[in-house]
Amino acid sequence: MAQCAQSVQEFVQDSFVPTVAVLCSADAERVTRRNNLSFPELLRPFCRLTSEGHLRDPNNLVVVVKGLRISVTGVNTQPLQPGEVRKLLSQAVSGCQPPEGLPANVVTAGDYDLNISDRSVKASVPWYSDWKDTFTQLSSSKFYTATTPWFEAYRENFLQSMPASDHEFLNHYLACMLVVSSREAAPTEQFQRLSQEQHRVQHSGEYTHPKWFIPNTLKYYVLLHDISDGDEQRADSVYEDMKQRYGTQCCYLLKINSRAAAAGPAEQMPDPWSQYLQKSRAQSPVSPAVLSEVDGHDVFCACVAVNSIDTSRKQGGLPASSTPVAHGACLTLNDHDRIRQFIQEFTFRGLLPHIEKNIRQLNDQLVSRKGLSRSLFSATKKWFGGGKVPEKSIAELKNTAGLLYPPEAPELQIRKMADLCFLVQHYELAYSCYHTAKKDFLSDQAMLYAAGALEMAAMSAFLQSGAPRPYPAHYMETAIQTYRDVCKNMVLAERCALFSAEVLKSQVKYSEAAALLIKMTSEDSDLRSALLLEQAAHCFINMRSPMVRKFAFHMILSGHRFSKAGQKRHALRCYCQAMQVYKGKGWTLAEDHINFTIGRQSFTLRQPENAIAAFRHILINDSKQVATQQSAFLREYLYVYKSVSQSSSDVTLPQLPLPCLHSAQTRVFFGHERRLAEGEKQAATHVWLDQEYDGEQAQLWAELEEQVVGVANKGSVPIGFQPTQYCLSCHTDNLRYPLAVVEEPIIVEVVFRNPLKVPLALAELSLLWKFTPKDFSRPPGGVPGEALSNEKEVTALNDIISTEVIPEFTIGPEETKVARLQLLPHKTGELQVLSVLYSLGTVEEDNGTTSRPTFVRGRQDLEIQGPRLNTTKEEKTSVRHGPDHRLDPVITPPMPLLEVFFINFPTGLLCGEIRKAWVEFVNVSAVPLTGLRVASTHPEFFTFGCAASDLTPVTPTASEHCSAYKTMATPPSVAATMLVSPAMFGVSGDDRPTVAEIPLVGGGLGPGEALQIPLWLRGPDREGVHEINFLFYYESVEKNAKLSHRVLRHKAFICASRSLSVRATACHSNTLPRRGGAEEEGGSSMLVFVDVENINTSEAGVREFHIVQVSSSSRQWRLHTCINPTGDRDSRLASRERGKLCFRATRCRTQEGETHARKYTFADLNLGNEQIVSSTTPCADFFFRRGSPSEAQKGGVSVGGANHTRRQSLTPAGGADDGVTGVVQKCSEVELNIIVLWKAYVVEDNKQLILEGQLHVALQTVGKEACSVPQKEEAQEMVLLKFKPDQPPPVSRPTLEQLSRLIKTCLHYPESYDHPFPQKSLCMVPVTLTLSNCSLAQVDVIIDLRHKTTSPESLEVHGTFTWLGQTQYKLQLRPHEVQRLVLKACFFQAGVYNLGTPRVFAKMAQAGTMCETSQQSSMPALIVINSV
Amino acid sequence: MSVITADLRNYPLYIRSVPTQNELKFHYTVHTSLDVVEEKVSAVGKALPDQRELYLGLLYPTEDYKVYGYVTNSKVKFVIVVDSSNTSLRDNEIRSMFRKLHSSFTDVMCNPFYNPGDTIQSKSFDSIVSAMMVQSS
Repeated sequence: MAQCAQSVQEFVQDSFVPTVAVLCSADAERVTRRNNLSFPELLRPFCRLTSEGHLRDPNNLVVVVKGLRISVTGVNTQPLQPGEVRKLLSQAVSGCQPPEGLPANVVTAGDYDLNISDRSVKASVPWYSDWKDTFTQLSSSKFYTATTPWFEAYRENFLQSMPASDHEFLNHYLACMLVVSSREAAPTEQFQRLSQEQHRVQHSGEYTHPKWFIPNTLKYYVLLHDISDGDEQRADSVYEDMKQRYGTQCCYLLKINSRAAAAGPAEQMPDPWSQYLQKSRAQSPVSPAVLSEVDGHDVFCACVAVNSIDTSRKQGGLPASSTPVAHGACLTLNDHDRIRQFIQEFTFRGLLPHIEKNIRQLNDQLVSRKGLSRSLFSATKKWFGGGKVPEKSIAELKNTAGLLYPPEAPELQIRKMADLCFLVQHYELAYSCYHTAKKDFLSDQAMLYAAGALEMAAMSAFLQSGAPRPYPAHYMETAIQTYRDVCKNMVLAERCALFSAEVLKSQVKYSEAAALLIKMTSEDSDLRSALLLEQAAHCFINMRSPMVRKFAFHMILSGHRFSKAGQKRHALRCYCQAMQVYKGKGWTLAEDHINFTIGRQSFTLRQPENAIAAFRHILINDSKQVATQQSAFLREYLYVYKSVSQSSSDVTLPQLPLPCLHSAQTRVFFGHERRLAEGEKQAATHVWLDQEYDGEQAQLWAELEEQVVGVANKGSVPIGFQPTQYCLSCHTDNLRYPLAVVEEPIIVEVVFRNPLKVPLALAELSLLWKFTPKDFSRPPGGVPGEALSNEKEVTALNDIISTEVIPEFTIGPEETKVARLQLLPHKTGELQVLSVLYSLGTVEEDNGTTSRPTFVRGRQDLEIQGPRLNTTKEEKTSVRHGPDHRLDPVITPPMPLLEVFFINFPTGLLCGEIRKAWVEFVNVSAVPLTGLRVASTHPEFFTFGCAASDLTPVTPTASEHCSAYKTMATPPSVAATMLVSPAMFGVSGDDRPTVAEIPLVGGGLGPGEALQIPLWLRGPDREGVHEINFLFYYESVEKNAKLSHRVLRHKAFICASRSLSVRATACHSNTLPRRGGAEEEGGSSMLVFVDVENINTSEAGVREFHIVQVSSSSRQWRLHTCINPTGDRDSRLASRERGKLCFRATRCRTQEGETHARKYTFADLNLGNEQIVSSTTPCADFFFRRGSPSEAQKGGVSVGGANHTRRQSLTPAGGADDGVTGVVQKCSEVELNIIVLWKAYVVEDNKQLILEGQLHVALQTVGKEACSVPQKEEAQEMVLLKFKPDQPPPVSRPTLEQLSRLIKTCLHYPESYDHPFPQKSLCMVPVTLTLSNCSLAQVDVIIDLRHKTTSPESLEVHGTFTWLGQTQYKLQLRPHEVQRLVLKACFFQAGVYNLGTPRVFAKMAQAGTMCETSQQSSMPALIVINSV
Repeated sequence: MSVITADLRNYPLYIRSVPTQNELKFHYTVHTSLDVVEEKVSAVGKALPDQRELYLGLLYPTEDYKVYGYVTNSKVKFVIVVDSSNTSLRDNEIRSMFRKLHSSFTDVMCNPFYNPGDTIQSKSFDSIVSAMMVQSS
């Protein structure tokens, strides 16, 4: 807001003051020069009157003149040329800048907080918050929201430089002071001369300038007396003489210079001149060309050249302006008072009475002419206006705006009077005069005069105290319009607008003021337009509801005009203020435009930092500009940046805005780039940057590593174990400092995004790091080395850490691209990767130009914020982030580095197929490695064989067509058996071994050594694609404090296709083994049925399967003989064929079973001529590595067994019943594993291949079917979630069915019996009842012979017979005991009888009577009794 | 001609103008016109907020353009700038254009995937605006 320190009234009053000319003799000038001042300048600070003056108006009313100011100027002061005026104004504006560093003034408007640079007292209070307050404050004009001192300076200078015009008299000279020194030889004559001079100037008509108010100008004679070196008496006498000559009213003796100049500034005197003169001094450096021009026109040079300090300074005083000159050095405070006194005297005694007299005279003239009515007068003038015609034509020649009156024209008299009244603050009279004059001028069509009268009428109406009439704003509007459009006088129009705007503002008519100001902007003056637009903008923000956006828009317009006017600082300020409104509101185009302009202006104003910041802002944001605009912005930015970076010698490179660096996505990889497959060798996949991060996988690997570390550390995982991370990203745990190994590369992947639509070129891309060398082998506490950095020269420290430099890197438009930058440390220590260094440039589209595009060097810091913390309450409520150390690796001493290659590694296998592959271990480091182990998610998939077996070919090539199995030629016969301990195969306990130790020659691998060992693979049991993870673990021979071990990962994909499905069932054989040999075997045998089905679906490829051998492996049972097929007959199975095999299994020898409880008996039954030794590698390996039955066959095949174990674990104190159950179940349990070995004939590429494989079936319960192909686990999937703990299953009694199998009964008798009934009526047949206890417990058996079959059909079929002898037996059978009971049956007649009537009841010996149950009802045992 | 939608906080939601070369000027014009819109709304809105006429009429004429405004009840502003020389568009046409815009804007808002405050990228809205521009030019 342009508010000056005065109220509007004061401002208007001060703009129109009586002007007084000064004519000074040379001597008098010399006197004042001692103070470095001319006479007018000497008076200037004292020109405001402190006391009230009085005068009487024509009606004899007293008019009080308050705070009158007079303006004193040298009579010969030249009006400035328009060009000069422009220069002066522009200097005034540019010289006045907003104060810096002052507290900012924040204006809150709506949702905007505007910071308008300001030195306001009211900075903290948003003034508009209370409208009433504002109103009163504004009207009292004590507080201002925003000052624009440059505007005030402009306005002041503008008004001062207004040329005197003919249509108004306000700035015409009213009086003339004639100043003569008392030292003059003849002061009186000098006065005379000066008086004549004045008369000549005014009346000779030679001079168009200066202009005089009234013909008889008041002459005021001043005798200037220099006290320090003048003769006071003489001065007094001269003064007396003067008084006599000119009258006391018009004379004054001014005594100054009480002090010798030599006294110097010992006494601190106030310097009231400085504020008046400093400004003009600052304006003084006008170009010499203009000066000489002025001098040439200076008509007064000859006579009174020295009179004016202005001219003298122009002529030669230029250097003086540069040094601060003390003004008034010879003046004491008394002198100041004297000068003040003098002015007062002059005004009250001289000037005011003179004005009063003139007003009266003019009034009298007007009254005398009042006889003629004004209207009649004008009407007659119109009718008989011949007298005016020639003048009008002249006027039209000179001024198109209307006619020009001669100076003494009666029409002007009234205007003169009005001006006089106005000057002495008699606004009421002035208004009525102006009003009258306006009517006259309008009727004469003297537009210029009319406009002047309108303007002043409005002003005086405004200034009238008590405001009897409202401010006539339309007068002003008409005046401005007339000035501008009719008279084409922009200066006057502008003056008028300035006043009007000020008045409107004081009346809170901001929108009108703004409209007025905006209307005044035009093409002819950029400076004026800029200032007025700025004022208009301030008006908008001061409105009742602040129009922030209009403010901003006009500020931008103003800034544009300022920049056109060369006022760069002001332009920048305007744009910055407008920016506050547009910033971050989504109006991106406007924002970009403002930023761009701010950048340019700042650059030209040597504020490169601001310029860069502004340009940066354009580029960082997602720009909606078109590509060409963006490339222009980019080029500009690069240019500015380059010029800045060249000028500054700063060591640290500045940050670049482009391309966007996604720090959080930075990934760090430790290790070499992955080597791909070499010929047949296939390298371990390990970890590489191309692999996507997968949380589940990472978890899997971590678990594997934990397992293998646990095994390596003898069962316990060390505290503080952390899985090795080779690739760090935002998903990994980066709380620890990662470990890197010396001489192994560190690859940092940074993600760049180009937000622009133009491509960007980066050059010499590299990493900036800081490194602190440290020797970890020495005990801690040593002094760490000095931190090194490659900041100055990227590759300077390559002997410590080699830094890779990417020479060129181009990012396309809106592209996201990664760059991989490598560091290779050569020393141990702590490394910190700080930022990315690069040169940014544009990509030149046209290749014709040879000039290299501009590149600027800079950096972007890699600042990675850790994950947000969310554990404590404090962290939850505030936003805190943890540390992220992925870029701060610790470089540790050398470690071995293993590379693993696979040879002949298949990608597809049949289910259960055995394939032999080779694996090569290479130690590529300079350090020996040891303790090589491997862990896998699928340990059943592969084996390295047991240590004992080394009968396989030593090289991979030799083994190509050999069977993977160890074979012996034997005809098919009784099964060959072999006892094997699982420990031989690295299996201990029931759990599957997930970690396998790899046998190394000499226990380790020296530097550079390689080792090839065989590897057997078995196709997974389930079809489909299997993902198999291998984790190789190894250690250094020497203990490394930082890094205990290293791992290498491999992930293989195996596609398994269906081969055979094997189903097996075991049945108790009812026949007792033959006496003799069979009894030695343990007394019991089973039948095992094996169903084999070819379920292979591939049309090509597999032709047929051959079952070559069936082996068993168990601790208790073994296959004994083959029942079907008999003889050496391969059972071959074409596609979808099914075969059934039947075997007899017997119990192993018990004594062996007892002592070697953990040993397995392998029995091989080969169907061909070759026996595969199943108890060796790889068959046994895979057998032991098979999934545990309960795990692999959850499908319900062996639910009984599983249930049983679970119940045992749940109710350990189950009591007797449970024991009973266990025993009872034991007897129906078998633990027999069937291994089916097959060969498949496959045609592939017209070659026949023989594939081998093995399938495992675990039989667990008699009568239950077991399958090699795992069933679909539907039951498992569908289990409902339970939120209550499982109820322990009720302690159930063994089922009847189970109990009924405790005892196996068998009747031995002759099938037919001949008996001569005629001879002997009773036929007695001996029958042996064999009872065999199947359980492992003592069983009490009751045999009841009295029982009769109750079933009706048995009655029908069979005749009756009776058992003789004891009808009930009680026996006790020890475990597996077989007892025979000889019974006698008695028949009465021939026929067919069923002997199977004895009921056998069994109960456990130690159990109560509860479990007594009848045993399996025996088969019908028919006997034929023949009568002979 | 240019169509601009700004939300409650006067963030631009949708800007479209033909010809495109003078886009910056349109931006400035429309941004500035929001002041007038707010003035009008605050002047009228106090009396009867429910029965306020949504169409604000001609906001202000500039030398080259006429700026029309429309404010929904949720203080979403629509501004249409047309060439001053275009005489075919009367007040009624402009009013119906605003109605169409408003209903289309409502559709955009009903889209559950639209996040209030985001710039509008709806194709149907786009096509409606294009149709209006073709029709008016």
